[in-house]
Amino acid sequence: MTARLDRRDLAPLWLLSPAGLVLAVVTLAPIGFLVFTSFTDYNQRTLFTGVYTFVGADQYVTLLRSGAFWASLVRTVLFTAAMVAGSVLIGMGVSHLSTRLGRAWRYTVTVVLIVAWAMPNVASSLVWNWLFQPGYGVANWMLAQLRIFGDTTSLNWAQDPALAYVSIWLLIVWQAVPFIALTLYAAETQVPHEYKEAARLDGASEFAVYRIVTLTFLRPTLLLVTILSVIWDYNVFNQIWLISRGGPGDATSTLGVYTYKTAFVGFQVGHGAAVSVVTTLLLLALTAVYIRNLLRAGEDL
Amino acid sequence: MKNAVAAVFCLVWLFPVYWMVNTALKPRPEVMTPTPHFWPHQPTLDNFTAAVTQPQFLTDLRNSVVVVAATVLASIVLGIFAAAALSRFRFPGRRTILVVILAVQMLPATAMLIPLFTMFNSLDLLGTYLALILAYVATVLPFSIWVMRGFFAAIPAEVEEAAQIDGAGTWRILVSVLFPLVAPGVIATGIFAFIAAWNDYLIAYTFMPDESRYTLPVWLASFTNPHTGTDFGAQMAASVLFSVPVIVFFLLIQRNLVAGMSAGAVKG
Repeated sequence: MTARLDRRDLAPLWLLSPAGLVLAVVTLAPIGFLVFTSFTDYNQRTLFTGVYTFVGADQYVTLLRSGAFWASLVRTVLFTAAMVAGSVLIGMGVSHLSTRLGRAWRYTVTVVLIVAWAMPNVASSLVWNWLFQPGYGVANWMLAQLRIFGDTTSLNWAQDPALAYVSIWLLIVWQAVPFIALTLYAAETQVPHEYKEAARLDGASEFAVYRIVTLTFLRPTLLLVTILSVIWDYNVFNQIWLISRGGPGDATSTLGVYTYKTAFVGFQVGHGAAVSVVTTLLLLALTAVYIRNLLRAGEDL
Repeated sequence: MKNAVAAVFCLVWLFPVYWMVNTALKPRPEVMTPTPHFWPHQPTLDNFTAAVTQPQFLTDLRNSVVVVAATVLASIVLGIFAAAALSRFRFPGRRTILVVILAVQMLPATAMLIPLFTMFNSLDLLGTYLALILAYVATVLPFSIWVMRGFFAAIPAEVEEAAQIDGAGTWRILVSVLFPLVAPGVIATGIFAFIAAWNDYLIAYTFMPDESRYTLPVWLASFTNPHTGTDFGAQMAASVLFSVPVIVFFLLIQRNLVAGMSAGAVKG
């Protein structure tokens, strides 16, 4: 494509080395260091004295025997599945709705999506705490007006395992839908009209047209969006931390929260590093799928 | 029918943002009422005054500005050269570098947090701006390279060839031909970098234990006081002030948003 410049030119080397050096120090070295730390007993004492011992695979053995780790892995998988399913389904709905709207409504929906998307997650987590505040929160008031659940005014969402999940799920889905809806919308406008017309002439219902024609064209985009959502939702930390701190007890302690608590609350840094390595390896499998798909989708590397 | 669905969707999705603004504009008695007021009956800016006159606000704002500005600058300067190399040249190892850059984006936050924390601890850097800037560059630089690379790749090869025929050398072509052409991309990338660093809570919360070194997100989250109870009006006003620059930037770069997001620039 390009490369008209002399092949033996050393320019790329010079151009890459500043960023390369910085990334080697702040990204690659830390990854190596993380793996190294996971084979030591690095702990609170080490932070002050710098002394630690090499413990081989002990951290991993303890980890695989720890009920708390497995529980939080299962939680992470189930919660990620619930968040991805919710946001992708709603995102598909909003995208499809947008294709059928007039210009003014479509524009309004787009702006609303971008505003929700743009909210920094620290701010939206605080807004969530306020919406679901026991006593004065507007969510409890609205629920009470429904007169289905009785007097819900003093419902404490963060202190109930199921309710804590519900409120975090709502927050993540609220923030995730815009990207998904806008990306899918961009793809949906590319679906050739002739195919839809042909299906309609054959007497297909609108739902059948969507399922058979549109979804077929959307499949690659849908796959990318789903994989990205899985990666992001699997990594969610701020929202859970700011809403429930992983609680009550360990009820909402996903792998990210579990790692953070181990490494930075209990200061068992070595053990936290081992959890982090395992978490990363699980994620790496997904990332590999994502990058392969990106390459296949024609992204020119 | 479809317009009704759209209207309901907009109302529901905008509600949390509306509620933040609504609360920010209410006097305290209206904030704390068993029956919520759906609009401020006696609108006031007192909450905004309360937020910005908090003892730590100006210090923490300055911390954020210093760290974010340094991060954006470093990522752009380092990133633009790397992006040029990765898009305008063919050389062995190029694909590997690109794949690594993309994969690094997907790492869980704690995977970077733990080793950077222990490294900075042994170097005695915890609590300093430098620690925070380095950690932000680690998160921001890879996607900056990725996004700018896209802008470089969009420049047709003929532009380069024409400059070459005119006798310009590699550096000359880069600096006076290619760099000006990617200026819009640089701005978009700078905005992405700004948003990522401005929004960070986890790294600042972990690396900067001292209140005088908090950044704005940590300051915002620490509004919760277990003794006096949270002043929700002021907290929502502070959230509005904190979010407005980000929302404005998002609307400015909306055309590049989806591309940047897939590169991991803005996470959920």
